[in-house]
Amino acid sequence: MLEFTKRIDNKIGLHLRAAGEFVKVAAQFRSEVTVYNGDRSANGKSILGLAGLAAARGALLRVVVDGPDEESAQRALAHLFDQKFHEE
Amino acid sequence: MSGNGLEKVGGAGSAGTAGERREIVKRGISASPGIAIGVAFLRDPEHLVVPRTRVPESAVESEIELFQQTLAETRNEIVNVRTLMTDRMGDDHGRIFDAHLMILDDTTISEGVFRLIREKRYNAAAAFNAVVEDIIRSFQEIEDEYLKDRYVDIKDIKRRLMRNLLGREKVGVEKPDGPAVIVAHDLSPSDTAQLDRDATLAYVTDLGGRTSHTAILARSQGLPAVVGLESLSGMVENGDTVIVDGNTGTVVVNPREKTLQDYRLEAARYRELEEQLLTLAGYPAITLDDKEFMLAANIDMPGEAASVLEHGGQGVGLFRTEYFFISHEYLPSEEEQYQTYRSVVEALRNKPVVFRTLDIGGDKIASYLHSSPELNPFMGWRGIRFCLTRKDIFKTQLRALYRASAHGQVKIMFPMISQIEEVTKTKEICAEVRAELRRARFKFDENVELGIMIETPSAVAVADHLAREVGFFSIGTNDLIQYTMAVDRGNSKIAHLYQNLHPSIIRFLKQTVDAARKRDIHVSVCGEMCGDPFSILILIGLQIDEFSCSPNMIPEVKRIIRSVTFDECRALVRRVMRMRTTADIEREVEGFLRAHVQRGGAAEGASE
Repeated sequence: MLEFTKRIDNKIGLHLRAAGEFVKVAAQFRSEVTVYNGDRSANGKSILGLAGLAAARGALLRVVVDGPDEESAQRALAHLFDQKFHEE
Repeated sequence: MSGNGLEKVGGAGSAGTAGERREIVKRGISASPGIAIGVAFLRDPEHLVVPRTRVPESAVESEIELFQQTLAETRNEIVNVRTLMTDRMGDDHGRIFDAHLMILDDTTISEGVFRLIREKRYNAAAAFNAVVEDIIRSFQEIEDEYLKDRYVDIKDIKRRLMRNLLGREKVGVEKPDGPAVIVAHDLSPSDTAQLDRDATLAYVTDLGGRTSHTAILARSQGLPAVVGLESLSGMVENGDTVIVDGNTGTVVVNPREKTLQDYRLEAARYRELEEQLLTLAGYPAITLDDKEFMLAANIDMPGEAASVLEHGGQGVGLFRTEYFFISHEYLPSEEEQYQTYRSVVEALRNKPVVFRTLDIGGDKIASYLHSSPELNPFMGWRGIRFCLTRKDIFKTQLRALYRASAHGQVKIMFPMISQIEEVTKTKEICAEVRAELRRARFKFDENVELGIMIETPSAVAVADHLAREVGFFSIGTNDLIQYTMAVDRGNSKIAHLYQNLHPSIIRFLKQTVDAARKRDIHVSVCGEMCGDPFSILILIGLQIDEFSCSPNMIPEVKRIIRSVTFDECRALVRRVMRMRTTADIEREVEGFLRAHVQRGGAAEGASE
């Protein structure tokens, strides 16, 4: 099990489209992905769950990956945060 | 948001039980005058009436199958729309549909639906409705405004999938059987554009204010409307009797016999008054000291042209072309536009018609044009900004307008001007269009007058420069007030800051008129301010050349003009120009109105 914490700093937070980008990446891996925003958590492969986290710009998200390909999953997802979810 | 999905489910098919239900009286905002009594038709695309049945055990698996098939069907539909949008508008516009597809694929939905079907024996439609309403509710609890807004995407998917589901179950009424009072939580311009004017008696909505688009549309159609009723749509069922009093902003649902009688009398009285005002139609809009003003109408659709003349309008001061675009599922062709504009011009029989070019954006959105949501649409890609980047759409419209000029008096007006470069660029495009039409040997008027809307503070500030570039100004007071006071007119918490008579607004009006006077160009006011008796006096005193308002307000504006003197209104303006607060100005104008207008009146004015 691996985890990392990153700040959401794309323009309007983890809205539907950004959540979609996250799911696109998460779904490529067999590992389970769970995302925490404070005390809320969501399945990282569910766009509705992620959008429902209400993660506004500036929110700190903790991402936990667990499974056979967790290392590459962690790298890919962290990269997505750095790329601001392909928005800008 | 009214009620939850399941309550509505219970209401299905119970129309016609009106007699047993108790009378409900609600006050809202009076958006368009008149009184209508009729049956309610709930127009609520977000709250489809979803049938709820109990699925027998033997049918559970086939119900699940039905849902899975519908999911697949809806999925294909969205894939097709995405391809279409990507081809037409680029990859970026197609991308939002990726998110829609992922929502459909999200197991939160399918698992929730399967569970309700298996464990509670819900039918597929009711199960899906319950699951999605739950999700929408959880989104609405989000405090961040931007994130919260995204539940509209989920509603969009709900609508699409539900339509496919209900289509199979052969349920869901789309249009009223006969004339009805349209009741809705909110009506978007595209909703209202699809409603049949002849089947509509009045509009009643939970949301909106006096200057929302439902209100403006109702006034231009001459139909009563009450808006801002908060939660009324949740209390009404299809077929309920509803009284809509647009004069006082009152709505009565399931009225008692006595209430009904009172309103029938009131409606008759009002009709009589209206007819009296209509007799003014043939008289000029002239003050007691012989200063004449031009009265024109704001309309949205060709069908309203007749009512302009009927109410004594001397032309169309504002034809909003965007409703024509919004009511289409696709971009209307040059030929379609030409036929529409031509029919308006011909109906006006050589009286001037000012066409405002496409003012898409803000709260008016055609789904095929403007798919990516903006953070701040009123400050965004709208009006001339949209047209100058979508030159293809703009030129098609200009060609159609120029061609229509062969059949009557066409003027063209450009919205949302905030800098002079926009005007020079637009004039170049108009010249290109004329050259193309000349080459193609179309008949058109080479001298179609070009004008601009003055609706941004920056346009007011440089009005002297702008006046050298164009043939006329039209002051759009709704947006000018919104931008000047920095107030969202739809937000009830700050709506009180939206003030017609704020000192800044009166100064801006004066500055604009002065700039126009210096270059000797025509200046009109086409905002809703024209329908407000207080403001009319100020506009007269400022020597605005033309008033353009909803057709059914023309007689009342005329009555006011005919009962005052220009001199006294000018003196009134001089007095209020020195005042510091809206309250002081309103008090002064109110006193004036009482002293001059009430003693005047229609009959006296008309006898000259």
